[in-house]
Amino acid sequence: MGAGKKTIIYIFLILLVLVWLLPIFSIVLAAIKSPEQFNTTSFFQFPTKFALIENFKMAIKQWKLHEFFLNSLIYSVTGGVITIIAASMAGFSLVRLKPKFNFPLFLIIYSGTLFPFQMYLIPLYRIFNQIGLYDTKIGMILVYSALCIPFSLFVYRGFYITIPKEIEDAALIDGCNSFQLYSRIFLPQSIAPTAVVALFQMSWIWNDLLFGMVLTRTGSARPVMVSLASMSGVSGGIIPYIMTGVIFTSLPTIILFILLRKYFISGMILSMAGE
Amino acid sequence: MKNYNKFVSYLYILPAFLLVFLLLLIPMFQNIYYSFFQWDGISQPIFNGLSNYIQLFKDANFLTSFLNTILWVVFTLIFPVFGGLLVAVFLRGIKFGNFFKSIFYIPITISFVATGIIWNYMYSRQIGVFNTILGLFGIDKISWLVNVPLNTFSLLLTWTWQQLGVNMVLFLMGLTSIPVEQTEAATIEGANRWQLFIHVTFPMLRPITTVVIAMATANSFKVFDLIYVMTRGGPYRSSETLAVTMFRETFTMSNMGYGASISVVLSIIVVAISAVYLRSMLKKDLLYY
Repeated sequence: MGAGKKTIIYIFLILLVLVWLLPIFSIVLAAIKSPEQFNTTSFFQFPTKFALIENFKMAIKQWKLHEFFLNSLIYSVTGGVITIIAASMAGFSLVRLKPKFNFPLFLIIYSGTLFPFQMYLIPLYRIFNQIGLYDTKIGMILVYSALCIPFSLFVYRGFYITIPKEIEDAALIDGCNSFQLYSRIFLPQSIAPTAVVALFQMSWIWNDLLFGMVLTRTGSARPVMVSLASMSGVSGGIIPYIMTGVIFTSLPTIILFILLRKYFISGMILSMAGE
Repeated sequence: MKNYNKFVSYLYILPAFLLVFLLLLIPMFQNIYYSFFQWDGISQPIFNGLSNYIQLFKDANFLTSFLNTILWVVFTLIFPVFGGLLVAVFLRGIKFGNFFKSIFYIPITISFVATGIIWNYMYSRQIGVFNTILGLFGIDKISWLVNVPLNTFSLLLTWTWQQLGVNMVLFLMGLTSIPVEQTEAATIEGANRWQLFIHVTFPMLRPITTVVIAMATANSFKVFDLIYVMTRGGPYRSSETLAVTMFRETFTMSNMGYGASISVVLSIIVVAISAVYLRSMLKKDLLYY
């Protein structure tokens, strides 16, 4: 490859990277400026005083972000745990116990990932209102779990298929019953699929806006993204507070990605389903 | 298989099955049922056959929304997908490749809502980053999210910022799976970089390209959060796509039956596209049995 072409590629990539970094750079600067300084300086000027902590306190005070943050933390953790247990158990049974109709059963559960979420909104809104699950934490946890299970089942099932039969046969000779087989042999080996499920599904729950808007009304059940979205709703919102809110509410998913980044690729491969 | 208790084997599946069946599958069929009714969500639903679906094709708002959705799909294939491929190809064998890669990767880690709010600030007319930069060159303030059709393109730029990294990662994966011998052989035979790409790299990337395109297309049909946060589909419903129109008709205007029919149309399209990659997945899957 010619040096000239290589230079062009570098220039192209550097320009693109600058465009990609501009929003990050802008919000970090906005978040560390006091509102007064933000109004009197251009976006690229550095502040003389570091006001992130003050902004954070105001974002908490005005929008009660911490309450919604806690709600979403509960949803992500509980929804994630329920999904992991339900999907790994089902995957184990489908692959190793192989009951009759195991493939149709898999297809039925997996079909839950096929349709756009809009397909579920109206009936869920109606049913939840009728049976008292509207605007409750329990209702949200149930919905999030149900939405996460199909993909997670696909992940666990695909992984369990690769566990060698010999291991299981050895366990059988030892006289394991099926639950011991699941809890002592399959579950402890499930680190990779569980990491994929945790990364993709817990961050999906955290980032959800749609179900939060439709199925909740008050702070007792509203997830964090709904409250974040409402911060920007009114024009003339105070940008440094809003951007501090953006950073604060993005931290959990950023941390999750950093911790589990090596599972991102395998998760993407899985979500592309067997290519 | 050894003789495990048949009944117990179903018990393991039961929790997953019940949650999905009760909260997704039954509602899905109910939703199809509602789409044949005129219903405001409060009073008794009135059966009106196919008229919701017929109404769709007469509704200017729906047609705008449908055209916008198509625009989103086409644009997605050009910028986040083809752009992702281009960046992936460029990143191969380049110094600081990992550094560049991690920059494009950042937006993946934050939500659509956060992305929308960040870019609202970028596009803001008075204090926005873009207008400030343009102002340095003496260019007048632009209403990025208000002018039609500029607002849809502004949204699409944000979408590209958020999505390019995903496609780049997938294409990089496809590229690293190409054996080095293949490209070396072609280079020895005197192929230049472009010929190499067309005759060796691209054919080997085809399987992954099919899946990336199918996934990106399905995702662009479903886009909601970004538009809702940035423009609410406005002004005057000019930047709505199907998912946003469905939400507005249903929950803002209380046309539940009509909203249901939009979601059914959206589902038919998305499922048809997903079938492209599902077929290959299931074919492969059946090999396990």
